[in-house]
Amino acid sequence: MDIKLLEVVNLKVGVNQDNKEIPIVNGISFHLNKGETLGIVGESGCGKSMTSLALMGLLPPGVDWQSGDIILEDMHFKNFKNKDWRSVRGKKISMIFQEPMSSLNPVYTVADQIMEIVLNHENVSKRQARVRALEMLKLVGIPRPEQVLDEYPHQLSGGMRQRIMIAIALACNPEILIADEPTTALDVTIQAQILELMKEIQEKLHMSIVLITHDLGVVAEMCDRVMVMYAGEIVEKAKVVDLFDSPKHPYTQGLLESLPDINKQMEYLSSIPGIVPAPGNMPIGCKFSPRCPFVHDRCSVNPPLFDTPEGTKVKCWLYEEASVKKEAVL
Amino acid sequence: MFAYIVRRMLHMLLVVFVISLIIFFSIRLTGDPVSVMFSTGEASKEAIEAVRANLGLDKPLPVQYAIFIKGLLTFDFGESFRSGMPVTTLIMERAWATLSLALGGIVVAILIAFPVGILSAVKRGSGVDFFGRIFSLVGISFPNFWLGIMLILVFAVYLQWLPASGFDSFQHLILPSITLGMILSGILARLVRSSMLEVLNQQYISTAKSKGISEWSVIMKHGFRNALLPTVTFLGLQFGSLLGGTVIVEQVFSWPGIGTLIIDAINQRDYPVIQGGVIFLAIIMVVVNLLVDLSYTLIDPRIKTGKEA
Ligand SMILES: Nc1ncnc2c1ncn2[C@@H]1O[C@H](COP(=O)(O)OP(=O)(O)OP(=O)(O)O)[C@@H](O)[C@H]1O
Ligand SMILES: [Mg+2]
Repeated sequence: MDIKLLEVVNLKVGVNQDNKEIPIVNGISFHLNKGETLGIVGESGCGKSMTSLALMGLLPPGVDWQSGDIILEDMHFKNFKNKDWRSVRGKKISMIFQEPMSSLNPVYTVADQIMEIVLNHENVSKRQARVRALEMLKLVGIPRPEQVLDEYPHQLSGGMRQRIMIAIALACNPEILIADEPTTALDVTIQAQILELMKEIQEKLHMSIVLITHDLGVVAEMCDRVMVMYAGEIVEKAKVVDLFDSPKHPYTQGLLESLPDINKQMEYLSSIPGIVPAPGNMPIGCKFSPRCPFVHDRCSVNPPLFDTPEGTKVKCWLYEEASVKKEAVL
Repeated sequence: MFAYIVRRMLHMLLVVFVISLIIFFSIRLTGDPVSVMFSTGEASKEAIEAVRANLGLDKPLPVQYAIFIKGLLTFDFGESFRSGMPVTTLIMERAWATLSLALGGIVVAILIAFPVGILSAVKRGSGVDFFGRIFSLVGISFPNFWLGIMLILVFAVYLQWLPASGFDSFQHLILPSITLGMILSGILARLVRSSMLEVLNQQYISTAKSKGISEWSVIMKHGFRNALLPTVTFLGLQFGSLLGGTVIVEQVFSWPGIGTLIIDAINQRDYPVIQGGVIFLAIIMVVVNLLVDLSYTLIDPRIKTGKEA
């Protein structure tokens, strides 16, 4: 029933400094099923945005794709030239950003900005593109859409702008929507509306969503599966229910403990002392070990991802035996 | 919008009025025009007084100023002390030369500075950027009379590709325009580079890229279009010093423009011509400023003239 849509294999992204590779995203692998929502959580600076930018081929200057591959249908992104990336962006994979106030171009009308992506990917007339723009505004629930078409971003509220960003992103009916903290900058009621809208549209259009967030409440609300990132690595991959019922990795446990109220958003973690190490200044072995309450000898070697009986994958030596047992049963 | 333009017109009138005051009284501090005319010293006292009365210089200063202002209202700047020609005619004969030179200078500056500035920003830190920044620096540091003389030497004297002076054809316009535009292009390229760098960092550039449109569209349609606003502001502000620059360039290339007219008039203390020339330049300045301000509404939809302003 789960159809694999996108697969990321051992992706390594980082900066090259003095002939040394300093990884920011350090060899992560995951996949995305058709129609599902995959959450990516983790503290600031752990490489969530870099991962999503790599999916779009939009790594900032100075940050390179070092190794690994991303596979969508029969396309291997590692071989991509500029032109190949352009045919994927906005057509197969779209992205919406954190800052709705600044993610629309101030000098073009709403219609211009939606029509641009349609005219770029589809062989349609301007009139048809405008009709599509209007449909999209209706889809994302913009009041008086005919007028808003000819308005400029500064005439619209933050929530409206994020709706319009979603309209742009979905105008060419992409298979994947990457949302990098899409509601962080909005106030709480608007946040809920935008998330609700994303869910609704997902059902209508059968697309997959990669949702990056700090907010575990949002994860519980929106996601089917979650991956927890720490210092450029995936430390836990689990179904949402399993993650909240029985978090495995000490880091995940810490994340959940720091949420006395599930709806409270946390950007730093009171229950885990210390901070995320910077790229280029990583501890040897398990990267979480300096902050981990269960640290022991084994942690001087970086653990692989172990399978647990529940089907969670966790990067921690504490689960070595559980995973061995599972293999023995099989 | 209409109310805004009317208000701006009144403002412009005030500016021109203040300039008329300054120019009228300051040139009268430079000395007596009649004594320049009769510098050989052989004329009788009566003859000199007659000339003075004839030119209206015997009246008290406030009366002279009132006459000047009254003429100004009908664009009548009086007659030249020297040639007796109406000043308006003298100015109109030369206005086109000065305006085409100023326009040529701006065109040259834009043709050089836009590509250099944009490329520098896009290829930030590369060899192109280095070259572009050196160019800006060199452009800024050239005195334009020196550049003009060098251009004449190379292109008119040695290569003989272009004429060194005069105002008969398009070819005549090339060297003066380059001379005038060069300095402006240095500063302009810097400004274009820095505003492009700022714009290219904006979130909406990421949005544009994420649509899969070409890099060229991202840079020009989304980037440069937004970098244009500070650039137009700058060009508007620089128009004054550009007109100032024409005075020097006109001298170097024997260009028959307003600048040459004013300088000759100053040497001869030809009051009406000086006044007329300066007022004319001032009017051009304020009109250009108004046009620049109005163009904002076209470039930036966030600016709504007259309503909130
Ligand atoms: N342009 C860049 N050049 C080099 N390193 C960068 C650059 N941008 C980000 N980094 C580094 O990459 C790491 C991961 O950044 P990323 O933006 O992916 O974090 P994040 O998980 O999205 O954090 P946040 O929750 O704050 O958005 C950070 O340590 C950051 O310092
Ligand atoms: Mg981020």
